[in-house]
Amino acid sequence: MKKKLLILPSIFFFIILSIFFYLLIIERNPSELPSNLLNKNVPIFETESLFKNEKFISSQEFKNEIILVNFFATWCKPCRDEHVYIKRFSNKKGIKVIGINYKDNSKKTIKWLKNLGNPYSDVLIDKNGRVAIDWGVYGIPETFIVNSKGIIKYRHVGPITNEIYKKINLIINENE
Amino acid sequence: MTTYLGNFLLSLSLFFAISQFFVSKKNKFKFITITVNGLLISSLLSFGLLMYSHIISDFSILNVFQNSHTTKPLFYKISGVWGNHEGSMLLWILVLTIFNYFIFKLYNKNNSIFIAKTLEIQAFITTGFILFTILTSNPFQRMFPEQANGLGFNPILQDPALAIHPPLLYIGYVGFSAAFSISVATLTLNNNEKVPWYNYMKPFVLAAWTFLTIGIALGAVWAYYELGWGGWWFWDPVENASFMPWLLGTALLHSLIIVEKRKSLQAWVLLLAILAFLLSVIGTFLVRSGILTSVHTFALDPSRGIYILAFTALLGGYSLVLFGKKSKKYFNTNYFALFSREGSILINNILMVIICATVFLGTIYPLLIEAFTNNKISVGEPYFNSTAVPIMLPAILVMGVGPILAWNREEKSKIFKKILPSVLLTGIMSGLIFSIYQSYNFIGIAGIILAFWIISNNIIILFKQKKNYSSGMLVAHLGIGLLILGITGSSIWQEEKITRLQINTSAQINKYNIIFKEINEAKGPNYVALKGNFTVYDEKKNIITKLEPENRYYPITNSFTTEASIHTNLARDLYIVLGDGNLSEGWVVKIYYNPLVIWIWIGALIIFIGGIISISNNLKKIKILS
Amino acid sequence: MKMNNANSFILKRILIISLAFCITQFFSNISYTVEPDEILQNQEYELRARNISRNIRCMICQNQSIDESNASLAKDLRILIRNKIKEGSNDKEIYKFLTDRYGDFILLKPPFNLNTLGLWFLPFIFLILGIYIVFYHNKKSG
Repeated sequence: MKKKLLILPSIFFFIILSIFFYLLIIERNPSELPSNLLNKNVPIFETESLFKNEKFISSQEFKNEIILVNFFATWCKPCRDEHVYIKRFSNKKGIKVIGINYKDNSKKTIKWLKNLGNPYSDVLIDKNGRVAIDWGVYGIPETFIVNSKGIIKYRHVGPITNEIYKKINLIINENE
Repeated sequence: MTTYLGNFLLSLSLFFAISQFFVSKKNKFKFITITVNGLLISSLLSFGLLMYSHIISDFSILNVFQNSHTTKPLFYKISGVWGNHEGSMLLWILVLTIFNYFIFKLYNKNNSIFIAKTLEIQAFITTGFILFTILTSNPFQRMFPEQANGLGFNPILQDPALAIHPPLLYIGYVGFSAAFSISVATLTLNNNEKVPWYNYMKPFVLAAWTFLTIGIALGAVWAYYELGWGGWWFWDPVENASFMPWLLGTALLHSLIIVEKRKSLQAWVLLLAILAFLLSVIGTFLVRSGILTSVHTFALDPSRGIYILAFTALLGGYSLVLFGKKSKKYFNTNYFALFSREGSILINNILMVIICATVFLGTIYPLLIEAFTNNKISVGEPYFNSTAVPIMLPAILVMGVGPILAWNREEKSKIFKKILPSVLLTGIMSGLIFSIYQSYNFIGIAGIILAFWIISNNIIILFKQKKNYSSGMLVAHLGIGLLILGITGSSIWQEEKITRLQINTSAQINKYNIIFKEINEAKGPNYVALKGNFTVYDEKKNIITKLEPENRYYPITNSFTTEASIHTNLARDLYIVLGDGNLSEGWVVKIYYNPLVIWIWIGALIIFIGGIISISNNLKKIKILS
Repeated sequence: MKMNNANSFILKRILIISLAFCITQFFSNISYTVEPDEILQNQEYELRARNISRNIRCMICQNQSIDESNASLAKDLRILIRNKIKEGSNDKEIYKFLTDRYGDFILLKPPFNLNTLGLWFLPFIFLILGIYIVFYHNKKSG
């Protein structure tokens, strides 16, 4: 046995521990998944709109301006919690806010929006969750930022907090 | 008052641990006696205090408030003490101080320097754990303002198997810590006293391995009976974290025999003892640091992770660098033949290490990918089934024939005669079972035949020459054969039926006819439930049993659980889960026919008994040593 | 006050209905693994669907496949997979559909690509190293 080989276990050990250390100190959420759609085109889909008569066709709508897409439902408590931030975004100039109502009852949604205020310029109906699957959604609420060229630039899973609100603002500003 | 007392006792333990470190360095027997006993008593008292607080539901203690409730049954109030992170650290410390005491009991004038050195290292480890507890995980924090009742406890965890699973696992990990300390002491001292360090290591490795085995088995029992998924092992990172020390422990247990008998492989065993404990600590890190999420992880906290990582770096860095420098003198060129009893143990060791390395790779690979790319991947059951599981087959094959091979060199001409009876018996048993159940799965067929191979070999040895063989080994190996039979049978011959049933309709599975008789409400100490009543008939229209699966609601934690109803006999389990439904459309019902499942648990129990037999035989030898 | 049999029967049915209602309200967003209504008539298709599902991770559970999971997203994906099988997609196309949207994370069996070379090759290398040690030992002892 060459003596040099004997130091190998300690070398492997330190390499692995450094990787663990690195992972600990960077900011990461072990249960959050990075979106596979980042920097890719918006998914192509068509769906009914809650308030408008015409159908929503994605290829026509996602090419003109920055759009914030928010998946929500009335039965989802964190969606209620983040609603105030969605309203703030709706007041922001230069961006459009679209809501996608996930697996919900349309009457309940209309009532919910009436009570809390409707920040969405359009509310789309995703009754069976297929649109959400196309966006890679796995837990609502989820919020996406799409730039004016129809490319998805950001995705957040879970309710928007103050920090995420600031982060999204930065991203919107970068993409103007 | 309790918080002050608890904190005082913890600080006292810390004081004794640090003191033990210094007095062991100087080998001052009287002071060592004081510190060892002081450590044991103070940690026993602090653990007892926390347990007392849980039992009387003292919600002024944050730990009790967060994890308990007045309606919890007493048994689970007690086990709830270690069912949370902070309390479990107190249990770790208690077990550490108990094993510390056992090491101390070995002290005599012939081995004093060696044992003192071991106690010094053990004191360092214990100090690390106590300091971690005080700084990041103190169970004696005060709850302000005091509430009338606590936050209850996860109902899935209120299960007897799960209740005793942690203490058994900790005996395993702490046992390996003793082996670690002995190894480091041996390397440090250059063994000038010529102390037979391997004789001292053996009882600790035996104890660690035996209890780790039963601890892991109980975790699997809980998963099977409680979770309602029909499975019992998921290659979850935390399950892997207990499996890896077990694999190295198995290797260590066997190669220690070679060291004792032939003085061969000493350097390898010293390294294994270090690695087994390091993996145990890294496992602790994975569960408690927040680096990954899993069903098993405790509350996530990166500061805990950094502490454990630093502690691991110190322990591992020091011991492995020491090994690099000092292990050379433990190499010898005593090469036994490969085709011998030692050779089969060597092959076992190599295979155990390969499996361990593969499981380790699969477990940390997602973390590696995340560190180096911006991606996340999953490494789940299919990966381990393709890589780690096939390597177990040659290990089982060798395990059957190994014990009957001669020491040093087995003559190839004699081998046929030796294995003929067991080959025949294996053939008969396999033939019998394949006539009842068919399979076209290669690994499945191999697993069954290999299980019978082990069982046959051990039965034959038991009949013939019991005196030459360690009875503990025979029993444990027999247990493994039964375990593998159960594992393989239940996975390849499982049948499943999913259907929607109305009241008074039935479903057919295997040869059984199961009629959905009625649905009722049921009540427990802290839950309400919807209970289905099913009657099971065999093909002759006899009633086999009544199955009553439940869907429970626990109001205190606002959570739901499904309780499977299981009828067990030696041949198979009938396992039924009630789904969702209503009186008009009926209920979704999932039924499993799981052959041979009980042999998994019987096998594990027999392995445990074998281990206990070996421990007790070994203790008789140890008495002579000290 | 004693209840007669008729009243207690009605009360019992009311209790069951309300308890079932409460539990199913929670479970209205949760289903119980593969449901009978999901099972395809064609056995070959159903077998394919089960095999694919066993390899797809339930994104909101802890280390379960969509085949075993209670979650509503799991059910949606199970139905989606069966629909795609009926439409004629092969397994590769179905996996691509899912990984395009959810990334490689959704696969329980990690893919074989540049990033995972180490993952798939190292076990072989361990085995070869082990065999080498065995032969080395054999040579030295012989």
